Amino acid sequence: MGRYVVRRLIQALPLLFAISVVSFAILKFTPGGPLAAYEGNPDFTEADRLRLEKAFGLDQPLPVQYLAWIGNFLRLDWGYSFASHQPVLQLIGERLPNTIYLMGTVFVVVLLLAIPIGVMTAVKQYSVFDHAVTGATFAFLSTPTFWLGLLLIIVFGLQLRWLPLGGMSTPGLEQDIGDRVRHLILPVMTLSLVQVGGHVRYLRASMLETIGQDFMRTARAKGLSERVLVLRHALKNAAIPLVTIVALDLPELFVGALVTEQIFGWPGMGRLFWDAATRSDYPVLQGILAVSSTLIVLSNLVADVLYGYLDPRIRFS
Amino acid sequence: MKRALALISALAFAASACAPAPTGGGATGAPTGPAEAPVRGGTAIVAIWQEPSTLAPHYANQTVTDIVNYGVLEGLAETTNEGEYVPTLATRIPTVGNGGAVVKGTKLDVTWELKPGLKWSDGAPVTSADIKFTWEITMKDPKVNNRTGFSEIESIDTPNELTAVVHYKSIYAPYPLNFGGTSPALMPKHLLEKEADISKTEYVRKPIGTGPFKVADFKAGDSITLEKNPNYRGAPDKPYLDKIVFKSVPSSEVAIAQLKAGEVHAMWNLTESQTPEVEKEPKLALQAVPGPSVERMELNTAKNEEFTDPNSVHPVLGDIEVRKAILYATPKQQLIDKLLFGKGKPGTSPVSQGWAAYREPQEAYDQKKANETLDKAGWAKGGDGIRSKGGVRASLTLATTSGNQLRERVQQVLVDEYKAIGIEVKIQNQPSSVILSGSCTGKDPRKLGTFDMLIYASSPGIDPHSTIFPRYHSKNIPTRADCSGQNYTRFKDPVADKAIEEAGATLDQDKRKQAYATAMKQLNAAYVIVWLYDRQDLDARSVELRGWKANTWQRFTWNTEDWYLKK
Amino acid sequence: MADIALKPGALAAPVAKPRSQWRLAAERFMAHRLALVSIFVLVALALLAAAAPLVSPYDPERTRLLDIYEPPSPVHPFGTDSLGRDLATRILYGGRVSLAVGFLAVTVAISFGTFVGMVAGYYGRWIDSVLMRLVDMMYSFPRLFLLILFGVFFKGMTVTVVVIVLGLLSWMTTSRLVRAQFLSLKEREFVVAARMIGAGDRRIILRHLLPNSLAPIIVAATLGVASAIISESTLSFLGLGIQPPTPSWGNMLRDATSDMDKAPWLAVFPGLAIFLAVVSINFIGDGLRDALDPRHVQRREGA
Repeated sequence: MGRYVVRRLIQALPLLFAISVVSFAILKFTPGGPLAAYEGNPDFTEADRLRLEKAFGLDQPLPVQYLAWIGNFLRLDWGYSFASHQPVLQLIGERLPNTIYLMGTVFVVVLLLAIPIGVMTAVKQYSVFDHAVTGATFAFLSTPTFWLGLLLIIVFGLQLRWLPLGGMSTPGLEQDIGDRVRHLILPVMTLSLVQVGGHVRYLRASMLETIGQDFMRTARAKGLSERVLVLRHALKNAAIPLVTIVALDLPELFVGALVTEQIFGWPGMGRLFWDAATRSDYPVLQGILAVSSTLIVLSNLVADVLYGYLDPRIRFS
Repeated sequence: MKRALALISALAFAASACAPAPTGGGATGAPTGPAEAPVRGGTAIVAIWQEPSTLAPHYANQTVTDIVNYGVLEGLAETTNEGEYVPTLATRIPTVGNGGAVVKGTKLDVTWELKPGLKWSDGAPVTSADIKFTWEITMKDPKVNNRTGFSEIESIDTPNELTAVVHYKSIYAPYPLNFGGTSPALMPKHLLEKEADISKTEYVRKPIGTGPFKVADFKAGDSITLEKNPNYRGAPDKPYLDKIVFKSVPSSEVAIAQLKAGEVHAMWNLTESQTPEVEKEPKLALQAVPGPSVERMELNTAKNEEFTDPNSVHPVLGDIEVRKAILYATPKQQLIDKLLFGKGKPGTSPVSQGWAAYREPQEAYDQKKANETLDKAGWAKGGDGIRSKGGVRASLTLATTSGNQLRERVQQVLVDEYKAIGIEVKIQNQPSSVILSGSCTGKDPRKLGTFDMLIYASSPGIDPHSTIFPRYHSKNIPTRADCSGQNYTRFKDPVADKAIEEAGATLDQDKRKQAYATAMKQLNAAYVIVWLYDRQDLDARSVELRGWKANTWQRFTWNTEDWYLKK
Repeated sequence: MADIALKPGALAAPVAKPRSQWRLAAERFMAHRLALVSIFVLVALALLAAAAPLVSPYDPERTRLLDIYEPPSPVHPFGTDSLGRDLATRILYGGRVSLAVGFLAVTVAISFGTFVGMVAGYYGRWIDSVLMRLVDMMYSFPRLFLLILFGVFFKGMTVTVVVIVLGLLSWMTTSRLVRAQFLSLKEREFVVAARMIGAGDRRIILRHLLPNSLAPIIVAATLGVASAIISESTLSFLGLGIQPPTPSWGNMLRDATSDMDKAPWLAVFPGLAIFLAVVSINFIGDGLRDALDPRHVQRREGA
């Protein structure tokens, strides 16, 4: 097992290297470039352009730029944003807690909803409840996130005026917990409604599979109550694949939910990426891409390892 | 100058971001009555739907940076609503008349006197050394946004603490604002002179200035808080407010909603189509201020090909009768009424505001006249309703910045209107980072000559020379050899050339005004540009926020020291 | 199928198997009532969009400045937009674009994914390793981030570019599915038998392996259409998708956001159209999965 993890980690290195080269290339071949923001200015001259290219190191050949970047990156010097001149690490550091705060809440809410609903739908398969949940699940899975967010804003923000329209807090009330919670509701609702469906269907399917298995019949024959049966035995076994799904969701804690952050003005990683993308702010984009890709690779590994750990039928070879 | 910068970068940015760009129209904000006693204290919250990436004035390239910085930073002089220069930190505007500006052959010396007793918000005194430092750092720091004006300076003498003599290499007419406003603003030598790289200091988020407020907090992506500057020269009388919070919101739609809900007191920048929503609310006031920006459609008179030969002739638009017909077929007023909700005026020339404004209207909308003009010129309608002449089909492309809602709407109406006079128009939009890149390497179609018709806006500074000379003098047609010019229609007129040259060689305002008028008259007689409409700056506030005044040449936060809150 | 059915004999065993499998699948699918209703809805939507010029008396691009922002009425059942165009008509024409983008993007993704999966699964060894590392790499980019970068890259996207970009970002699942099928099938008796009687790689892949791998491909393709339609609308909403004047459901929604106060119906109807199309496709996909590939597990991309 330990050797398996080490081997997977070693295998991940060339992958991560390739990812960093490809993302660097994608960024560099994007037309426009970081100086486009200046070029709309009639006072901005060709001399200004050359000067800024030099200041930002954009005049170097691409391989040189890449090597300089990767070298510094590994030494935790991720460079400075072209737009705000802040260190990339600091920019990420400012946004990351906000994203973890939002996505962490979503994560918990989704699990708190998905587990009981998933279990219920499996236990009461083909009941009215099961059908209703299935219908709702499909409805939310089929709604574009941005549209759902806008509808929630129209209904709860604009029409009913129950909840604030965006942001993390009201200026001056940053310490007020109630105020912060009120700001959290709509974005969390948007994301949870879209995500919970997938988890529910997943859990339902694996519960149904477990309930049909031999050991369940044995347990039932032993006279265990249906409640114990479901919670102790079925859920425990059905939860194994869920754990891996949850592990695969972990990178989202970092990556954030770009569209939702955009609609609700949430100062998180998604918006940082969006702002950087529209301004071709390469150092910021490279930093975010590198970290999120690494997290995705690692979470895949974690999922695989957890899966094997929880399910003794899987052997690592 | 500063405004031109700000506006155009705003357009560029807004088009690439997810919200519409600012545009212009024609109504009035309601300034508050004069005899009211201001209330002291309180916090005003202003919604901004873009976030300033930096507040450092010499790095910034976003309009929204100015919105915040107007409360914090100042320069030596500024512009009134009427377009007059007035001193801010200086005692007076140096002119030839008062001896402050002296022309020496082809050079110019300007002497600035600082008001005595001025302090930076950290308490250090403001001296003439700061003026010199501002120039030096702008020329030295490789990351500054541009060096307009500063690159014309040969040297600066500081004979005493309060006096700076600026020696220009040329007769630089816009000198009064060279050290004016917020970008560029005066920069504090005592804080920055020892820094090797200002971009890595706290200054980029908390610049120190002399304005009524100072930056207390910069929460990235969330809010920027300004608080009263105790060392402000108007203190303790002004500012009236204790704090101003600039709150980031996701879009102008949300900003309006928060304004209506009373969550914010004011918002920066709304689109024309949003104005009815604000106007119908009795608790809100729309601030619609005519700005110098003019939306135009430029027609390429040379061939539509890369690095076009300025002497080549466009097969369709090379015919002045076609250009006339296009103007006659453009329903300016209808566009303004229906798409701009009345917030604008039909355009007349590149200079709509200030002392050099030229306001002779172009011919009005007349579809019949347009058809007759084309008939007479030999452009006959074919079976599909599209005209042709000598085997050339009247088929053109129309480009603008993609993602700009208003422009896309205007464009779609124009396509229909031109179809009605037998001219086929295809939309061919590109992002502003290409179409307004202003560089040949950036594939700006205007520079290369690869367009037929193109819609964009440009905004002259209060001194129009920096607009008129590069854009309408025939020697500024961009070519492969020299791509720097901005004469995109390839307009060539010896009379206009001569007038523009005369205007640039004197500081006599009457003579200059006359000469610019001649040039613009010639320009309009060539029918190379359809001036669609003069734009307005549109902002909104709650009626509780008072003290605001309109200023065509500055942004709506220009007089925050006079703002106060009153229920 | 017909082609295979006409030539019984040497290949009888493998042929008989898929046939009964398909029939069983069809029976299972017919039992899925929601999927049947969904097929009807989707076909109706597609037909209406295809026949838009016959259905609607209006020109989708003709602007009428005197009729802007008209609320829904018998003349304009969904009202008119900011340029006085009939919204219902625009939705039909936008449907052509959005549905076409969805289907074409999936065609690109499935073709490419199937090809990669086929090659990797059949030839194995280093080819397999290289291709699967490529798949791993594609999976390791946050998908929306890549979409946005491509959106910025190809600013001013045309339908073709959107199709290619969406296609090239969503082929990986298919290639993994096809590879897995090929790996398990290529050792089966009927394949070994075919190889023994001298069938070439091409014949084995096209005649034996591919037809037997179709079930998961079809399911993935169907669900892929739904996700492509949502991706297109998201991209358009962010301003990076298909550009006006070409209407798509996504860019109609984007245009509507600034008029939410004046004309909320402009945001409601295109959203409903997306929802209706996507939910139908998802139900069809669910039905197909139950019918063809009951043990398949779906993983959803992050929002």
